[in-house]
Amino acid sequence: MKNKNFYIGNTIFKNPVFLASGPAGYGIEYRDLINLEKLGAVVTKTISLMPKEGNSGTRLQETEAGLLNSVGLENVGARCFFEEKFPELLNAGAKPVVSLACEGKEEYISLLEITSKQKKVEAVELNLSCPNVEEGGMAVGTDPELLRWYITKAKLILGNITVLAKLTPNVENISSLAVVSERAGADGITAINTLLGMDINLKSGGPVFDRVVAGLSGPAIMPVALRAVWEIAQVVRIPVIGVGGISSVEDSAKFFAAGAAAVQIGTAIFYDPGLPERIVDSLEV
Amino acid sequence: MTDLTMGSYETELLLSEKVSPSSFLLTLSKPDRFIDAMPGQFVSIKIGEGISPLLRRPYSIMDITKDSIVLLVRVVGKGSALLASRKKGDLIEIIGPLGGSCFELKDDLNAVFIAGGTGLAPLVFAARKWTKEKKPGELHLLYGAASSNEILADLCMRDFTEVHIATIDGSKGFNGNVVEMFQDLSERGVLPEGQLFSCGPVGMVKALLDSNAASFIDHHTSLEAVMACGVGACRGCVVPLKSKNGIEYRSVCGDGTVFRAEDIDWKRWGK
Repeated sequence: MKNKNFYIGNTIFKNPVFLASGPAGYGIEYRDLINLEKLGAVVTKTISLMPKEGNSGTRLQETEAGLLNSVGLENVGARCFFEEKFPELLNAGAKPVVSLACEGKEEYISLLEITSKQKKVEAVELNLSCPNVEEGGMAVGTDPELLRWYITKAKLILGNITVLAKLTPNVENISSLAVVSERAGADGITAINTLLGMDINLKSGGPVFDRVVAGLSGPAIMPVALRAVWEIAQVVRIPVIGVGGISSVEDSAKFFAAGAAAVQIGTAIFYDPGLPERIVDSLEV
Repeated sequence: MTDLTMGSYETELLLSEKVSPSSFLLTLSKPDRFIDAMPGQFVSIKIGEGISPLLRRPYSIMDITKDSIVLLVRVVGKGSALLASRKKGDLIEIIGPLGGSCFELKDDLNAVFIAGGTGLAPLVFAARKWTKEKKPGELHLLYGAASSNEILADLCMRDFTEVHIATIDGSKGFNGNVVEMFQDLSERGVLPEGQLFSCGPVGMVKALLDSNAASFIDHHTSLEAVMACGVGACRGCVVPLKSKNGIEYRSVCGDGTVFRAEDIDWKRWGK
């Protein structure tokens, strides 16, 4: 893998190193720590039609080599995002990929319509896989019919905007869902979202998180992500973007070797914000 | 609050000094950027070499000297124990100064500081900074700990007009907790009128609010939280604030660490 321009759908990226959706927020929070301009893209935190306040109670729990989160897609909503956050991210020199929530069908269509009117949006990533919300999210990404519907609608309404489908590993057969996504028109597959987990507070004897379950990310999930990327890359022709626990330049090289066209860095930026740029450097021709 | 950016720095551990059975002062070389760090701001430290523990750990700034950053660390788990084992000359990666709000003293006013445990750190920083840069009135510190050997008041006796100490076991100063001492001192008219600043366990700050702290002009508190990003991005360390529509979440790292104590929805925070 080298740093050179490549296409996913109609969108050109200057290198295959992206920030993953979630940890980096709207991207701009990290502009003093990460040279966003140097990266292939910044995938924003997931945006829903209306503002979401996120989940109550504990939202983070460190594990051995991992991190459980139950943030619950807290975000400012599409209107505020496109008016305030998105232009700032562009001004910071980043190439944004906007992560879109897949909530109820009506809200989703409105969200796509608003997104389609934004002249500067080149690419979106459909979050078909968040484990931390009641409606939409992972439920959509585990049902082939719903998956097909959400992707088809996005392609239809978004026109030339590139559509990535982010899949959940919490299924029996992720590659068959990747095939469904490709047939529905997805321009690329992002794999994987977090694994479902939980923790118990031994003092209370009850779950740590108000919603009981949470999403596990970090180095602990890398083998699962790598396996998913490998399997998906065998069965689809569209680019596969590998994400899950990448913590070193070597980890990213494994994803490229497994068939990833690009990688995303998520949880690692919490402890090593210099990693994405080091991966870019490692790919210098 | 000045709008200055934080950065990632490699600092040198200049001194690690045990100051109580469970706490130590960590002195790190100072990157230039820290010259205008504010009380209530913090740094996030990469504790170990690899991925264990995974997350950085946040520590409130206790002092900024000409050449150094001083932090107060209490050993409570794996991360802090590892940090305690680092030696003089070790290189320590930090990000900072972090935090979007800080303690602020209005001119000429008195300040009453209430600290529990390592909550002492930002309050000492505030007292030192204001004494240097402002014309504060009286600065009173009320400091509580379980026992006299955990009282770190010797570190900061000269920074305050008066230091009042409470121990639960009665081994030094007032016999009881710091909030009971606060009530006692208030009733006896020992404390001057002015602003109230606190940092300590959730139970302490809640109890302060339930006491007669309302008679002060306002009460700002610096919160502690488990954090991931430290920069307000990930929304992992949010605190619920009361709002017209119920609650609003603010991040402790990006919007805090300092909040008006009354604004916090204490029923939902620190359960």
